[in-house]
Amino acid sequence: MIKRVLGIALKSGVLLGLATSPAWAGGDLAMAKKEGKVVWYSSISLPIAQQMCNAFNDKKMGFECVLHRSGSGKLYKRWVQEAKSKIFEADILHTSNAGHFLTLQKQGVFIKYAPEGTEKFPAAFKGEGGYWTVLRSFAYVPAYNTTKVKGGDIPTSWLDLLDPKWQGKIVNAHPSYSGSVSVGMSMLVKKFGWEFMDKLSALKPRVVQSAVDTTTYLVRGESDVTSGTASYTLFNAIKKGEKVKMLLPKEGVPFIISPQAIFKSAPHPNAAKIFADWTFSKEAQQILTNRGLYVGHPGVKYPEGQVPLNKLKLMTMSPAEATKMRKKIRTTFRKKFGV
Amino acid sequence: MELILTRTLARARALDATAMVWVITAVLLLILIVGPTFFLIKESIFVPDEVGLIEVTGHYGFANFIEVFTNDLYVSPIFWTVIVSVSVGISSVVVGALMAWAVARTDIPFPGMIRTGALLSFVTPPFLGASAWVILAGPREGWLNHVYRWVTGAGPDSYMFDIFTIPGLIFVMGLYVVPLVFIVALSGLNNISSDLEDASNIAGAGTLSTMVSVTLPLVLPALFAGLILASLEAMIIFSTPAMLAIPAGQHVMTTQIRAFMQSDDYQVGLAAAFALPMLIAAIGLIWMRRKALGRRGYATIGGKGARRRPQKLGSYRWLAFALCIAPLGCSLLLPAAALGMTSLMKTYTGGVQLSNLTLDHYYFIFTNDSVSGSIWNTLLLGAMAATAGTLLAGLIAYISQRRLVRGHQFMAFLATVPIAIPGIVLAIGLFAAYTREPVVLYGTLWILFIAYLTKYLPIAFQTSNAALMSIHPELEESARILGANRLAVFAQITVPLFKAGLIASWILIFMPSIRELSSSVLLWTTKTKVVSVVILDFYEEGRLDIVSALGVMLMVITLFVVIIAYRILGRDFMRT
Repeated sequence: MIKRVLGIALKSGVLLGLATSPAWAGGDLAMAKKEGKVVWYSSISLPIAQQMCNAFNDKKMGFECVLHRSGSGKLYKRWVQEAKSKIFEADILHTSNAGHFLTLQKQGVFIKYAPEGTEKFPAAFKGEGGYWTVLRSFAYVPAYNTTKVKGGDIPTSWLDLLDPKWQGKIVNAHPSYSGSVSVGMSMLVKKFGWEFMDKLSALKPRVVQSAVDTTTYLVRGESDVTSGTASYTLFNAIKKGEKVKMLLPKEGVPFIISPQAIFKSAPHPNAAKIFADWTFSKEAQQILTNRGLYVGHPGVKYPEGQVPLNKLKLMTMSPAEATKMRKKIRTTFRKKFGV
Repeated sequence: MELILTRTLARARALDATAMVWVITAVLLLILIVGPTFFLIKESIFVPDEVGLIEVTGHYGFANFIEVFTNDLYVSPIFWTVIVSVSVGISSVVVGALMAWAVARTDIPFPGMIRTGALLSFVTPPFLGASAWVILAGPREGWLNHVYRWVTGAGPDSYMFDIFTIPGLIFVMGLYVVPLVFIVALSGLNNISSDLEDASNIAGAGTLSTMVSVTLPLVLPALFAGLILASLEAMIIFSTPAMLAIPAGQHVMTTQIRAFMQSDDYQVGLAAAFALPMLIAAIGLIWMRRKALGRRGYATIGGKGARRRPQKLGSYRWLAFALCIAPLGCSLLLPAAALGMTSLMKTYTGGVQLSNLTLDHYYFIFTNDSVSGSIWNTLLLGAMAATAGTLLAGLIAYISQRRLVRGHQFMAFLATVPIAIPGIVLAIGLFAAYTREPVVLYGTLWILFIAYLTKYLPIAFQTSNAALMSIHPELEESARILGANRLAVFAQITVPLFKAGLIASWILIFMPSIRELSSSVLLWTTKTKVVSVVILDFYEEGRLDIVSALGVMLMVITLFVVIIAYRILGRDFMRT
């Protein structure tokens, strides 16, 4: 009996505690220092993610950013698997598959949190329900190798990429492994119909696992064109001096958002909030911008050579719709492309 | 009275030892083999009905097997796995056997160089070979295709080699299986004396007809064993098809298993249903190999078999040398050159120029926390698995050779049976067994440790066994007669004599452990990444420059270990 009363008292006490401290309250620095670190599951390419972590650690806040970088699908799968085994290592999730965030949000694994300063961000950068915020975004663009493709051969429409002349010369990323490819292909299929995939697969494209890898194939000249790559990867390759160029099809390009959210199960909740606040600060958002990404912070300066966001004709799709299409995109891809 | 007491105590102690050995064996069997197999079978017949994020409910049935064996999507990988394994098996036996014959039986120049080369390519991680061959033989920008166009003046779209094809896959797999067949065939040939070949020569047969009608039939059992090992290796390897077959739009069984495991849907059951036939096939192949080797050739092998006389190749000597060194050039020199140069290049477009050289990629791998952490994990795991495996294998070999306890055969069996478990199958079993209560090892280095230990225990056991066999028990017996107890004898007589065997076991576990991928690719977690997994990650992200830098580092470590092994053990440390 006493146990039961105690139990109830304890539970209501916890509830009370939750009720009195608003969910959007920021992290406590003293507590964060005690927690010692924040574990960031992030899908931005490693050099950029590491630069973010290092920049944060240089600030000597008293706790450390620990990065675990992998592809969007792999990170999601990894977190679910770890949760099944009751391993809770991750504090923050950041990937390019907004659909995953929707799924996880429905399962109630995130806390509601609006990082400092994000109230000034455009609405497109904020998730429904206040569970997640878009950390960065990019366009899913076609591109070509400038030494191999010239003049009239340069495509101006997505449909130009389906020309039989690209047989064996086109590279395509796999929607099962890459979040951005899954979302990007969904938008293209929605616009051009399923025969877009039929015709693309008829070209026997080289199939790679990530949207980033398609740029590598272009850069090495192993492929002439790609039916889709991440605009920021392309930007960085061009900055390095590689001979590749972005294509801007007249129909527009899929706009891919990469949300970030904090887990309820975060072992370092205060550190997580403080770190999340920082990732949306002008300093952090400028790091991302300099690497060719688009961000929600109104104060950042875009680097030279970057196509401004307002010059891009953007195609968008709600995470809910993308999630609905995801499975069919993947199974169709598997059937048509063989892997 | 006192005597009786002593005797009872001695008996109790003996019983104790037996009981302890039994308990340890049972526990190990349970952890390493029974548990994973049980859960593998259980997963394969578990059909999910409702899949929540964490909770999965379902029933038991054979739907997974039906799906896997009737859906064209999954039958195709099975079909191609069979084609690829058989092709790799046959082609590498032809090449490996001819090389072994040339080295063992003819006056080919520099046989030592060929032997060393084979050993080095045997220890080269196949995934490095695969990434290097992408650089070398990509159809459009591969170095070899550039050479081809430059020589023939062909147009920019024509090419001679396309590595992203099934033949390309078979070629690269074969390169790293040939040394295995070479080693097996060489030891088969070394067991046969030249008397019969001499007789054939005296009777008037030439080099070729002697080889075909006399030598070949004698080594047939060894060649058959080589064929089986090669096909098995080709069936269970994950890395090469992941790097070459997937870009070509083709899955094989191992890559399909990983795709199941990575799917957003719950497909662990399909993976298990895919893995079981692989396990059965592997057991079947190992059984056939035992059968073949059980015949031990013909009655020509005896204590007098030492005398060998090389066949004269005459003017073909250098041609034979070129043919033998070619596969090694393809598996060692060209990949090393491709990786070495790529690891130093700033941009691909810049090509090989002084202004395009950089050490950035090396700086990156050693300073980036997650990459350098994985290097540390790899070395730690390699050392842990090697140390535990050596001790365990040495102990089991000792107990079973000296028949110290009843049931020692079971221990020997335990140490041998994992040879038939493909790495990726083992990983699914371990994954299914140790991601749930009561024993959660997933997320720790221990699950990788168990995988490596299980996988490489058989090699260490065979090495220890062979080494112990050469130590006659009479040395130990004399020490016992002089009053030393079993432990003292073991420490002071056996171990010093056995040292070389133990060091060889250690190295033979350490080397494959630091490049293990087939199990690691399913068992890693964010905290427990190993170098091979990081390399695959970067490969799949198209960062061939970082892959190359990591590859060069791995090659240097391997080379270093091989040199140490040579120094301590001499050339023949890989005999077994």
